Amino acid sequence: MPRCLPINFPAEVWLTRGHAMPRGSDIRSRRRIWYALGLLLASALVLFPDRNLAAAEIAGRSARVLILYPYDERLPATSIAGETARTRLLEANSGKIDLFSEFLDLSRFPEDVHVGRMVRYLAEKYSDHRPDVVIALGEPSTRFIVDHREAIAPDAKIVFVGVERDSAAKLNLPADVIGAFSDFDIAKTLELARSLQPAAKHLFVVGGSASFDRSWLASARTDLAAAAKDYNTTYLEGLTIDEFVDRASRLPADSIVLFLTIFADSTGRNFLPKDAVGLVAAKASAPIYGPYDTYIGHGVVGGNAATFESMGTAVAGLALDALAGKPIADVDVPYTFFADARQLKRWGLSESALPPGTALSFKEPSIWEEYWPLITGVLVVVALQAIIITGLLVERRRRRAAESESRLRLLELVHLNQSATAGALSASIAHELNQPLGAILSNAEAAEAILRRPAPDLDLIQQILVDIRNDDERAGNIIRRLRGLLKKRNAIDWQEFDLNEVVDSAITILHAEAAKKRVAVSAEQSKRRLPVRADMVHLQQVVLNVATNAMDAMVDAATGDRKLVLQTALHGETKVEMSISDTGRGIPKERLDSIFDAFYTTKPNGTGLGLSIARAIVETYGGKIWADNRAGGGAVFRIILPLVQPI
Amino acid sequence: MEPCIHIIDDDKSFRTALGRLVEASGYWVSCYESGEAFLASLPASEAGCILLDLRMPGLSGTELQARLVQAAPLLPVVFLTGQGTIAASVQAMKAGADDFLEKPVSASTLRDAIDHALVQNGKRRAGREQIQGLRARVSNLTPREIQVFDLVVRGKRNKQVAHDLKTSERTIKAHRHNIMEKLNVTSLAEMVSIAERLGRMEPAYAVVDPSPASSPKANIPSR
Repeated sequence: MPRCLPINFPAEVWLTRGHAMPRGSDIRSRRRIWYALGLLLASALVLFPDRNLAAAEIAGRSARVLILYPYDERLPATSIAGETARTRLLEANSGKIDLFSEFLDLSRFPEDVHVGRMVRYLAEKYSDHRPDVVIALGEPSTRFIVDHREAIAPDAKIVFVGVERDSAAKLNLPADVIGAFSDFDIAKTLELARSLQPAAKHLFVVGGSASFDRSWLASARTDLAAAAKDYNTTYLEGLTIDEFVDRASRLPADSIVLFLTIFADSTGRNFLPKDAVGLVAAKASAPIYGPYDTYIGHGVVGGNAATFESMGTAVAGLALDALAGKPIADVDVPYTFFADARQLKRWGLSESALPPGTALSFKEPSIWEEYWPLITGVLVVVALQAIIITGLLVERRRRRAAESESRLRLLELVHLNQSATAGALSASIAHELNQPLGAILSNAEAAEAILRRPAPDLDLIQQILVDIRNDDERAGNIIRRLRGLLKKRNAIDWQEFDLNEVVDSAITILHAEAAKKRVAVSAEQSKRRLPVRADMVHLQQVVLNVATNAMDAMVDAATGDRKLVLQTALHGETKVEMSISDTGRGIPKERLDSIFDAFYTTKPNGTGLGLSIARAIVETYGGKIWADNRAGGGAVFRIILPLVQPI
Repeated sequence: MEPCIHIIDDDKSFRTALGRLVEASGYWVSCYESGEAFLASLPASEAGCILLDLRMPGLSGTELQARLVQAAPLLPVVFLTGQGTIAASVQAMKAGADDFLEKPVSASTLRDAIDHALVQNGKRRAGREQIQGLRARVSNLTPREIQVFDLVVRGKRNKQVAHDLKTSERTIKAHRHNIMEKLNVTSLAEMVSIAERLGRMEPAYAVVDPSPASSPKANIPSR
């Protein structure tokens, strides 16, 4: 059982507490208190099940609780305790409780006139709503309500918190005024230090020269008597602040320093203990511990004290019991261990060595702790993204494969088409080949005959040889063209070339066939170069398909009227147009589109693939092909292809 | 007169080469790039033959051949083709082609074909000269004598002829004598032969002209 401090809890500590209390600590301590309270309520439930249920009901109305704050509403100490009590009361009654708060402002207005005014005001204000319970925070509030309870709340139970037992004794409180007392036990703080520094050999206890400081030192000597045997214990007292700082800076590393309070040093210089501990801790060569959580943030590693939250919870517990009609008695506010994570780090102390339930302040939460929802979210998003990307990549791969497959099929189809065209034109081409071959033979035999003469004409022989060479070249060209027509492609041979070349080449190939079919072929070509990017053999095949179709369409026309015209021209600035027109019978309007469908044919031995392949080729190279009827009769096929820029 | 070989082919290179070969073989040669060009400058001489490309733009080989039957009937036509299909050759031969050669053609084949064509040409020209001589002799006859000739060669006796022409048998005899003298023949068989070769045995000639002043061909129906 911790020993009660025989000292008044000083206003400075009370007023300044909580400034350094971080939120993390709030939450931890609150949780702990709930846990304790939960246990308490659970036991109460077992003992008084029925009465507990009717806790907040008093004569058919909600219970009224007045919370008295000694100072103004901005003081963290009272605000935290008051808010915690409010929250606890509301939770316990599911919100069905009337809570009132009054800020007495007794530090700024300590005079009796103000007190009198407040009494009259509150007496008047609560004349119709007398509180059932009054919670007094701190000694001033307690004194105020005890002195004026008849005027303000004659029938109310009074509970208080934030008052030392010693002070309470001085107030001569009536027996029915019950308090939640806070006791300071320095041995508990040493317990924390011991668990953090199990190997420590030295214990230093620091205290100032003010009377409060001295009484603290005295009570500490008593409290630490048992523990002091384990350590080489030194009491640092009666020193100036500079001496304190100096001594602290020369302590052995395996020391525990307990800082009580320094309200004044030996020279009588006054300090706020938290400022004094700050000065000492800044230079200290060993960890410093203190019994107030206000020291947190001023260089102490940790300690053991009552928090404002626990005070609020404790007094709320008293109030609830009072409302429930239970007999209540003075209680001790539960104490909690607290520690400063930054100081643990500074001294290389292990966080895991802290006693269970320690409120750890300034803990730098790990990235995971601080941002786990965000990190989880990001990871999930990244994972989803990865899955989607993988899916898309797989799809892309499949699409690529499908595309290359279909391209390969197209290439195969085009090659079949080329072979068919070559077959169809072979007779004409063979005939065409016979011209140079026949000329070569005739020339050679003529030369032989000339050479047999007594006086051969050598100039003529020379000319004959030149002609033979030219004809041979011509025959070679024809064969090359035939081979070009039969060339098999495994991939598109991309080239940039003049579309006019394709027209020229196609006309040469078609020449013999056109002669055979008695079709006059002519070209109206653009004078400028029309560069396109494609496989030349493929585009030539397009021209051949369309042109042979056109020639077949003219069989019924009179021989003199069979005209095939191939035209090329710029189409806008970015495209090139090639048209192939005939003087045949034209195309029925309803079939203008379907003629490009596969297997559509009007010829008894046609495959119906020529125009559909032509369209597939043109579309492969980003172009368009369509058919139309000419005004003067006959059909015209137009092909638009993108021009390679710049012209 | 030297026979001339006319070469008609649209392919300049082939035409020239063929021309050289034919020339080197010892013939006169004349080249044309199209059927139209040949028709435009029909040779005065009918001695020779034509080497004709079957497939040409414009007037095709067969079309030209059809025209030549009228324009130059004595010139034999030898077709040259790069692609000797049976259908094309049958059509050409039916239309009167003398030969059908496939390109490329060797010198000997060509020479044989040309020689054969020239023999044909010679025969045609000779036959034509003979007929022209006969025709000249027949043209010496008076219209009355021609009437008598046409009837006599059809085997009519003098008496029947006299009856048909409403004259005396003696007059007919005198005409017949004059006719044989003018035609320089000694027998009726020779007269029949002449009439045959001049095509006067056709039914159109087997008529009697009532007005003897008209031309020999303007015969009058017998009834």
